[in-house]
Amino acid sequence: MRLTQSIIPSLLLLAAGVAQAASAWGFDDGNLSIVAKKSGETIKEKLNHKAPLQKPVSLGSSDTLKLSLTAKDNGKGRRPHQAFLVLQESESGLEAPFPLTVKENGKAAAQISHKDIPVQLLVAKKPLKASVVLASFGSAQGLNAPVFEVKIETDPTVPAPAYEKPLRYGKKPEIHHIFRPDPKSPPKIVSLIFTLAVIVTLPALLVGWAILSGNLTHLSKAMGTAPLSHATFFGSILALEFVFFMYYTSWNLFQTLPVIAAVAAVTVLSGTKALGEVQNRRLAGER
Amino acid sequence: MRSLLSVLVFVLAAVVSAISTSGNRLLVILDDVAEKESYSKFLGDLESRGFQLSFENPKSESLALFRLGERSYDHILFFPTKTKGLGPNLTPNLLVDFLNAKGNILVTLSSGVAAPNSLVSLLAELDIQLPADRTGLVVDHFNYDASSAADMHDVLLLPPPTRIRPDVKDFFGAGAGQDEVLVFPRGVGASLGASELLTPILRAPRTAYSYNPKEQGEVVDDLFAAGEQLALVSAFQARNSARLTLVGSAEMLQDKCFEASEVSKADGKKVAGTFNREFAKRVSGWTFNEIGVLRVNWIEHHLEEAGATNESNPKIYRIKNDVKYTISLSEYAWNAWKPFAVPDSDALQLEFSMLSPFHRLPLTLDATHSSDTAAAYSVLFKLPDQHGIFNFKVNYKRPFLSNVEEKNTVSVRHMAHNEWPRSFVISGAWPWIAGVGVTVTGWLAFCALWMFSAPVGAKRETKKTQ
Repeated sequence: MRLTQSIIPSLLLLAAGVAQAASAWGFDDGNLSIVAKKSGETIKEKLNHKAPLQKPVSLGSSDTLKLSLTAKDNGKGRRPHQAFLVLQESESGLEAPFPLTVKENGKAAAQISHKDIPVQLLVAKKPLKASVVLASFGSAQGLNAPVFEVKIETDPTVPAPAYEKPLRYGKKPEIHHIFRPDPKSPPKIVSLIFTLAVIVTLPALLVGWAILSGNLTHLSKAMGTAPLSHATFFGSILALEFVFFMYYTSWNLFQTLPVIAAVAAVTVLSGTKALGEVQNRRLAGER
Repeated sequence: MRSLLSVLVFVLAAVVSAISTSGNRLLVILDDVAEKESYSKFLGDLESRGFQLSFENPKSESLALFRLGERSYDHILFFPTKTKGLGPNLTPNLLVDFLNAKGNILVTLSSGVAAPNSLVSLLAELDIQLPADRTGLVVDHFNYDASSAADMHDVLLLPPPTRIRPDVKDFFGAGAGQDEVLVFPRGVGASLGASELLTPILRAPRTAYSYNPKEQGEVVDDLFAAGEQLALVSAFQARNSARLTLVGSAEMLQDKCFEASEVSKADGKKVAGTFNREFAKRVSGWTFNEIGVLRVNWIEHHLEEAGATNESNPKIYRIKNDVKYTISLSEYAWNAWKPFAVPDSDALQLEFSMLSPFHRLPLTLDATHSSDTAAAYSVLFKLPDQHGIFNFKVNYKRPFLSNVEEKNTVSVRHMAHNEWPRSFVISGAWPWIAGVGVTVTGWLAFCALWMFSAPVGAKRETKKTQ
């Protein structure tokens, strides 16, 4: 039963197609109206499949777009199988078809408001291109004609519809790591001035001691009494400073420590003698 | 000697006819073995490419996709079957298991035959929606074959597919002649979900739509999908690179659609030939891992600094080291591994990441390490100034190419205390160094003064007596 049901209309259409060979689909009485819900205002435009409307119409968030037309096959009102109003986003080419409700005599109508339109088209910046597609089985030439453009007006008080692009595999934006800035030094001239100021304190100290009548006159006496101890003691103090210098420039701690131990032993051994000599001089009232 | 020779000949023959990268056992599911006559060219092409075809009826009791936990077949090809379900051996669960085991599936539908429940559920699982009631028919009143469907308009004539995006290689329509058309007779269109694993191979023309011929013969009241939303041939590639392709019209693989003489366009223009045979070859070849398969041959990274040892793939680097990373990729094309060429507006990218990427850099072709079968891509970059455990990560997932996801973990240490610049090259440290020098000299001078200074005579003694 089903099968015959499905075959009969196609057979009818087939017969019709043979009868009206090389005919073409078109429409008459094309009317476009935009009804604003709040103000009740209505904008009406006449539609023609030969020439689309010059200016885009605008569709607010609470408005309803109504389209009515009479589909004609070679001037005779008939019902086409395919009667769509297609909205197309001009940048991506994305389309949304809206089937028209068609009566036997070809009278077709459609109502579109914001909630019917997919969100991808709602967020479009440019006006959507609307075209009417009328076609059916048989040999009649179908009609696919741009008829008008519609601009989607969003209500500023209502949050814009959220649209997140679906994930697509592709290249991602490049990332280049931003390095921390290198540590900075003050201008060299400042460092140099302060270095100079530090160095100048040494002659100042020596001059100060000289004014306070510091001298080295007992050197020959000390060297005469205990030459070996004084030479080694003072030498070991110098050597210790040299060890510190080597530690600063190249040695590591494990190279440094044994050398310090050796130098320290020498310092203690020679120091007892050398400082004994200094004590003797003090006891003799010569210091 | 003779046996050795025959073994050698056998091995060579195997190499020559080696086809798919993932095996050649192909299971063909159809109702009646007699049906395969109408697909003789398509199946013959498959056999000539080295596939071993086993034909089974879905009701066959001996049919088993797995044996002892291993796949019994590498690929499955479904032709339309009249049974409502596919029996206990081909449940959607088993088919998903088959995909999980890296098996590939090619599903063909036909509007005359309702799709089996098992396949509808499998496709729904993959976010591919078929029209309600498991039946639908794609018609286009603008692009139809005037010779065989002058009234029903259900034999679509389509231009060969073009690349879906500028950065995706055109596997299916490349090299098609200007006048060649694809014949798509009495097919079912599917609507694809938003999943990134789905890619349409062939979309319907803008004026095409799908309707239910049993209930919507008079008027289309409830539209399933229309225009380019309607996918006629669609591809699914799972994360494990298993592939499933849905061909909306099994008839487009039949011998009669491979013939050019039987079609003519609605506007009476001549058709130079049908592209169906080549398209069928490419679609089946893609599904069964003969094209679009990537292989990582090797990965190498090393320190690229003057005086550094040339050690490959060290476990540890230091922050701010200059490092060179190289990856070698091959692409399988029908019967041989070829160097993989990244499409022009696409990029192979390396991420250097700890939790999130610190660097994402394009890799460039490194001709010195490339060969006839492999292309090396490399990048030289400075490691970030952050220590921790990092990954060299190449995550190259693209439509129609098998997934490449490579991760190599290295430690990045901070600067050792002796790797910083010495204090004497830092101008800001000069006053402090001078201070140390002055203190040392002053200390030595003080020691000498304390030990060897003589009193200046009476002045001091008088002070003492007082």
